[in-house]
Order: sequence, then C-alpha cells, then structure tokens
Amino acid sequence: MRLNDQTTSALLLVTPALLGLLLFILLPFATALVLAFTDLRLGSPLAVNFVGTDQFLSLFNDPDFIRALLNNLLFAAVVVPLQTILALALALLLNRGLPGTVAFRTLFFMPVVFPMSLVAVIWSLIYAPGENGMMNAFLQWASFGLWEAKDFLRDPLLAMPAIMLLSIWQGVGFQMVILLAGLQGIPQTLYEAAALDGAGRWRQLLHITLPQLRNPLIFVMLVTTILAFRLFDQVQIMTRGGPENATTTVVYETVQAAFARQQVALASAMTVVFFLLVLSITWLQRRFTHHEREVA
Amino acid sequence: MRPGAGSILLRYLLLAGLAIFFIAPLLMMFLGSLKADHRVLLESGSLTAFLPHELSLQNYSDVFRRTDFLRFFFNSLFITGCVVICGLVVNALAAYAFARLQWRGRDLIFNLVLALMILPFEAIAVPLFYGASILGLRDTYAVQILPFIANAFAIYLFYSFFIGIPKELEEAARIDGASTLRIFFSIIAPNAKPVFASVAILTFLTWWGSYLWPTMVTIGPTVRPLPVAIASFYTLPPLQWGDILAFGVMMVSPVLLLFVIFQRWFVAGVASSAMKG
Amino acid sequence: MTTDFTMGYRNHTFKLLSVGLILTTLLSGCGKGTDSTADLTLLRVWAHAGQERERTVLQQQVARFNRANPDTKIQLTLIPEGSYNAQIQAAAVAGELPDLIELDGPFLSAYAWQGHLQPLDDLLDNALVADLLPSIIAQGSYADRLWAVGVFDSGLGLYADRSKLNQAKLRIPSLQQPWSLQEFETALEQLAIADPDGQVLDLKLNYAGEWYTYGLSPLLQSAGGDLIDRDHLRSADGTLNGSESKAILTRVQNWITNNLIDPNIDDAAFTSRRVPLALGGHWNYQQYRASLGDELILLPLPDFGSGSKTGMGSWCWAITDTARNPRAAAQFIAFLLTTEEVLAMTNANSAVPATRSAIDASPLYRAGGPLHLFFEQLDIGHGIPRPRTPAYPIITAEFQKIVDRVRSGSDVTAALNNAVVKIDREITDNRGYPGPGER
Repeated sequence: MRLNDQTTSALLLVTPALLGLLLFILLPFATALVLAFTDLRLGSPLAVNFVGTDQFLSLFNDPDFIRALLNNLLFAAVVVPLQTILALALALLLNRGLPGTVAFRTLFFMPVVFPMSLVAVIWSLIYAPGENGMMNAFLQWASFGLWEAKDFLRDPLLAMPAIMLLSIWQGVGFQMVILLAGLQGIPQTLYEAAALDGAGRWRQLLHITLPQLRNPLIFVMLVTTILAFRLFDQVQIMTRGGPENATTTVVYETVQAAFARQQVALASAMTVVFFLLVLSITWLQRRFTHHEREVA
Repeated sequence: MRPGAGSILLRYLLLAGLAIFFIAPLLMMFLGSLKADHRVLLESGSLTAFLPHELSLQNYSDVFRRTDFLRFFFNSLFITGCVVICGLVVNALAAYAFARLQWRGRDLIFNLVLALMILPFEAIAVPLFYGASILGLRDTYAVQILPFIANAFAIYLFYSFFIGIPKELEEAARIDGASTLRIFFSIIAPNAKPVFASVAILTFLTWWGSYLWPTMVTIGPTVRPLPVAIASFYTLPPLQWGDILAFGVMMVSPVLLLFVIFQRWFVAGVASSAMKG
Repeated sequence: MTTDFTMGYRNHTFKLLSVGLILTTLLSGCGKGTDSTADLTLLRVWAHAGQERERTVLQQQVARFNRANPDTKIQLTLIPEGSYNAQIQAAAVAGELPDLIELDGPFLSAYAWQGHLQPLDDLLDNALVADLLPSIIAQGSYADRLWAVGVFDSGLGLYADRSKLNQAKLRIPSLQQPWSLQEFETALEQLAIADPDGQVLDLKLNYAGEWYTYGLSPLLQSAGGDLIDRDHLRSADGTLNGSESKAILTRVQNWITNNLIDPNIDDAAFTSRRVPLALGGHWNYQQYRASLGDELILLPLPDFGSGSKTGMGSWCWAITDTARNPRAAAQFIAFLLTTEEVLAMTNANSAVPATRSAIDASPLYRAGGPLHLFFEQLDIGHGIPRPRTPAYPIITAEFQKIVDRVRSGSDVTAALNNAVVKIDREITDNRGYPGPGER
C-alpha cells in the first residue's frame, strides 16, 4: 500500500518538468509538424491554407536548400573524422601522465568555454584579408612566400574550410576530455599482458585502445555529427551563408526563412527535414553501440 | 615498453606545436585588446601580434563608452543563472521520481522523456519563435529562460546517478517518517553533488554561449545577452578591433577564471555527458 | 504516510512558491518600457544603428526635440542593422511596434501592404511635402499613398581620378552627355594600358548585401533590363532573365574575367589610387576627397542604351498603425525635416538632403557644390526606385545571389532563371499581393 501512495508525490515532483517539456518541446514540435503543411507567413494579411506537401516539394526543388544539405554533409564528412582523430591524438598524448599534462589539458580545453559567437568574431580577425591577416601571414611564412593573400571568408573555395578550422579549434577539447576519461577506464593489465606477448605500441593501439574506446568514440562522433548539422552561429556571424551559398546550412536557411523572410511554414518544413536527419544519425549510432554490447 | 627519451621529446614537440595552434588566437585577443585600434590588424600578421608593447586600457574604457556592457553582462548572468538554478531543481526532482518512486505510468513517461533527448533546440526554434512572436513575448527575460528549464538530458543524467545511490540510505529515513521531499533534500541531494555540478556546468556552457535563440527574440539592448551583444558590436560601425577584442576579453574572463579554478569539475562534467551514452 | 508527506511538502511548497513569485515578478517587471507619467506623450522610436556620426546626430536631434517639446518625450531604441527588418516584421505580428519606425526605403511596400503603417498624406503639412525631392516621394509611396519620408536620399555615381582620365585622353562625361557603353568599355581598356595591374574599376564587390542591388541594378535598367516587370509587378520572367539584363550582366562578368575590376578586398582600391574609377555612393565622398583632393571628380553612370540611370532611396520614417499619437509622431518627422535638422544629418553623413530648401543651403549639394550631380540626377528622374512591391525582400536576396554568381564566373543564364523561379513563386504564393479590398 505504501508504494501506491507515492503516486501523488511523484506526480507533484514530475509535473514542473513534464509541463516544461510539454509546453516548450513537444507542443512546438507538433506545431512545426502541422505548420509544415500550410502556407503560413508571419505578418501576412492573407488567410492561411493547407497546401499538403507543397513546402517539402519546393524545398527539394530549391538549389539553395540542397546546397545547404550538401554543405552540412561536407562539414560532417570533413570535421567528424578530423576532429575525432585530433581529439584522440590529444587524449593519447596527455594520457601518459608526463609532467605538464594538466597545463596542456587546460589549454586544449579552454576554447570550449568560449561562446561560439566570440570565437567567430576572433577568427574573423585571424582570417582578415590581405597580408596583414594572421592566417595569410602564417601561410605565407609556412609556404616560403608562395601563398598569395586571400580573402578567406569571401572566397567560395576557402570559406567553408575556414569555418571548419575554427569549429575544430573550439570543439576538440570537449571530445578530448571524453576520450581521456575513456582511456583512463581501460584496465592497465590489458596492456601489460599485450606487452608480455611482445605487442608493439601500434598493435596495442589497434587491438586494445581502439576497441576499448569504441563506445566513447562512437559517442564523440555522434555528438560531432549532430553539431555539424546544427551549424549556425559561425555562419551567421562570419559569412551569412555566402559566398555563393558556400557556407549556407540547413539551420541557417531555416532561420533565414523564418526570421528574415517570415516564411514560417517553409521554415517548419525545413525543421522537419532537419529533425529527420538528426533522428537517422542517432538511430545509426544506437545500432552501432548495441552491436558492440551484444558482442561484449 | 617504457617510452624512451626520444619518444618523450617527440611527444613534447607535438604538444608544443598543438599548443601554439590553441594559444595563438587567445594571445592575440588578450594582447590586441590592449593595443590601439588601428594597430590590431596591422600587427596581426607578424610576431608583433604576440609582443606586449605600448599597451593601454583605452579599449576597455571605449567599450563602456560605446556599449552598455554591464547590462549585457547582467542579462547573460541572470538568464543563465535562472536556467541553471531552476533547471537543477525541476529536473532533479523529476529524475528522482523516475528513479526511486513507484507510480503508475512511470516507465512509459520516462521513455517518452528519453525520446525527447534527440530533439535538438534547432528543431523547435521556428515554432517557438512563431509562438513568442504572436504572443508578444519577444524581448523579455522570460522568453529566454522558461523554455530551457525543463531538460530531458538533465533528467537523464540525474536519473542515471540517483539509480546508483544505495536504497538503504532512504529506507531508514522513510521508516523514520520523513517526507519524500525531505528525503530528497537531506539524503539524495547531498550524496549527488557530482551530478549536480555536472548538470550545472553543462547547462551553463550551453546557455551562456547561446546565440541562435536570443538573436531571434531580443530586439533592443534591454534584455540582450552577451553573445548577441558581441555579434552586434562587431557589426556596429566603425569597426574598431581593439574595442571588439576588449569586449571579448571581458565577456570571457569571468568564465575562464571559473574554469581554471573548478577545472576538475568542468572536465568531470563534460566527461559525464558521455559516460552513459 | 500521505499526511506526513503533505505536511512536509507544504513547507517546501511555500518556499518554492515564494521563489517562483519573486522570479515571476522579476521576469515580468523587466524588459518592458514604463510609460506611466501623466500628461506626457511618450513617443517610442526605433531606428537602425548606422554609422557612428549618424547615430550621434540622431541622438542629438532627439534631445533637441525633447527640449523644445516638454510635453512629448521621445524614447529612442537603436537596433543592429543586420537583423533590423526581421526584428520589425516579428514585432509587427503581435502589435508590438513602437509609434515611429525607421525603414530602409525599398522594404516599405511590405509593411504598407501588411497594414502596419499609417499613410502620411494627411499628417504632414502640404508645403513640407511640396518641398521634398521627387525621389523621396517616389520611394515612400505604395498603392498611391505616401507612407514614409526620408530625411535624406542617396546618391550613386562614378568617382574618377581626373589626372588618370586626362592621361588616357578620355572625354569627361556630363549628365547631359554621359559615356555610352562603347565609350565606357574603351575607357576601361585605355586606362588598363597605363595601369600597373590592369585593374581599373572598383565595383565594391567587397560590400555584398543590399549594395549589390542598390549599386548594380541601375546598370540593368540603363541597358533596358530590370529586376521585375515594372508595369504589373507580377513577374520577373522575361525581364530579369530577358536579353537586355543577360547581356549587361555578361558584360560585367567579362570585365571581371578580363581583370578590369579590382576586388577591393582592403576597401582601399580607390583611396590608395590603385584604380582610377570607382562606382560609389554619397557615403564615400569624404574619404575619397581626403585621399584625392582636387583630382576627385564625380561622374554620372554610363548610358548603356536606355539612358544613364542611378540608385536612390535610403532610410526613411514611417508611423505605425498602432501609434497612439500619430500627430505627435508626425510632428517629430516635421522637426527632422526642418532645414536646420536636415543639414545637421546630411552634413554628418554627406547624403542628399531631402528638401529643396536644405539642398539650397547645403555646401555639398547646392549648385556648384561637389555633389550637386547627385541632386540633379534625382531631380530629373534618373533615379529608379527599387521595385515597390512587398516581394522586394526576396527580389533583392535573389539579385545578390546573381551578382555572386556573375562574380565567380558561373553561368549567367542559369543564375537568372533560378532567381526568376524563386521571385515568381513568392509572388504567386502571396496571390500577387491583393489590396485590402481584394483579399
């Protein structure tokens, strides 16, 4: 009987949270699902109509939106492996407990506490056009003067890589810390046994470290992939999707549609597409992790 | 396999190279904020960018003259503070009910909450913006706080921790007749400090730097938070890099200070976000 | 057990409730303007945060007005330019607009169509309206009514380095006799011969944004093309992707591929005298004058077949439909349009004064003044307003993408057709923007 009495108190405890989730997540999301099938525009004096799948059709016939999707995919395809490898390298370098490790870890993690908007502003200065720009000067020095000064953020070929680089700079510390925690959870005995069998450090990395790190690695890649699809702040501040759509993203297009052009229905359709993307990425990740658990 | 001296040297060289990549933008920001505006860009292309010379605090006073920095700082602090504190209470209580109390529909509702975890904020920004617009709630503190208090991921983190606290602790108290809330505040919470710290830090990092939502819902400077403030200061003519960098330094220093002091907690908090994934 | 729980809970409920109450009070109390003072007309004004000198002058003007009218108090809010239009649109939905707003001229039609503004025809003095430049009236009109007036208009022309033109033995064009297309292209080639890097024209390709539409669409119009069919404003098909528009944009692309255009990465192509010709606006004058001194001359844009055309329109003031006291708002607009105040602003930003009285009193713009050409070309109707349709935001967004593609050497026809599809769809989606009676 006592257990049943807990229903009242449980409901009191969960109500604030459930109310919040309902009002600010579930309800808005359901609204987006409905709005995506209308032609609603913010501020339009015209009546709203249901238009079926028209918004989705025009989305997939819109070269700008397609480009945004491709840009997100490109960003993910480049940044996820690069950032993960870099994070792993940093974690491995720091895992040996060399003197000074804490100082290095502090430094590598520091950009994580920087708001992305500030990072975008600082890096806009680094990418300044002309020979005075830090990145230009650095590349000129590193290429023994062969590099010609470029306007990174206005160059259709360089703008995206420029944004990728600063995103890695800001985010890699986060991943590093997670992998570092994973590394410290690997039993030392495994390495000792492998060393007795005469396994070199490369083989230890391949046969012990990586398999043991499988779940943290998958988690890190999942988070980075989802972040790649959420890409917005840097684009809004540094390039506004340009030049020539080179840096536009799904979220940027969504905000442009909803906020700058008042096309709320179209933006809702984009939201739905965005959600399906995130859902499928998460689903893939779940499959991989579960697979691992079955094996183990 | 003990690493030899050569390998250690190589490791340090690698670390040093990477350290330059990480520290250069930071150094440039700190030193640039102390230089005359026209010198910032001029010197950023040479090593003088990293040499402290002819420094002054002029840019800092310019920031206070040209912007309402303290107001922006207060706004960010207030908004993030409310989200963090209210979020800790609301989400921890809910998680406790899911982890420890027996009630009808618990598992079903808990699974629904877990399912909400995959909805990133970007997936609800448009309808929320629409709602805030038609209700006339834009440009308020409330619209920047209320939607973010309840958080499925925070509930999940609390839940994972609470489920691991030995039941015996509670049983004794319950037999003594303590109420559920009393048990939560006097037994669970004190034993769950690490998860409170983790959630607080993760929530703080997320909303302190939040940019997308406040750009859509703040209008003038009244309730504008720092991330929007630096972006609009950056586009406010004339472009004066010294002032912008000084703004950046002031915006990030308190957080950096907190980070350096409570580094262990930051690292643990971030690492914990992955542990149960 | 239950009783015990409730008792313990009440204690906490009370604490939680009081915290909640305090929070609610804080949340609702902050962020809203207070306008409770009796007998005082509070006038809320939104304006864009523009150049520092413009901001300062506007703030001084507000202070002067407040001093001169003790029963009216103006509360000015400056909003970042980047999101200005979006902010106003979103605020309009919930009726949260202030009494008076500043608008970027071409965006006016959308607000007027949506019903967010009050017509100014009956609020402004006839003599004042008669004193306004024709371009100010044109830019502020939609559906045969006047909705907004600017304190200044803009000027677009070709700045030139006199000595370089003379060296190349080029004719100095005039408003009566502008360069023809052939003359202009010959001039570029002649100048390029003497130029170290061959780049002789600055189109300010580094500006991007609204500049592309403002600065470059007059080239289309001069060639007989346009952004949209002006008679019906229903479709861009056949106009924006018509042969005239295509031909001139292809020429611009050729100038770029033939290395005649300076990319102006450092925003100093003209001031550092790397190029002898620069397409530019009134806002460039002070800096150009400082760099070139007496060698600076201002020319009209070339005539590409349909006459020399130029850009026009700038920020202007409108009264919202929710304004509680439109008379007081109109009074502030009239104050800004007094000769003294127009000159205070235009002396700071070098823009074209909006009234003839102010033109006559302006050292820059009166007959014989260095920028008199800007006034003349607006006065004789060379200025083409950017299309006065609620579809303008999408037209300009699409045209900016076109220029981006022209610039990078992409296929011009494809870029134009792509834009036409988007513009026409926007117009169809809005059923051609029917007026209040036809909805």
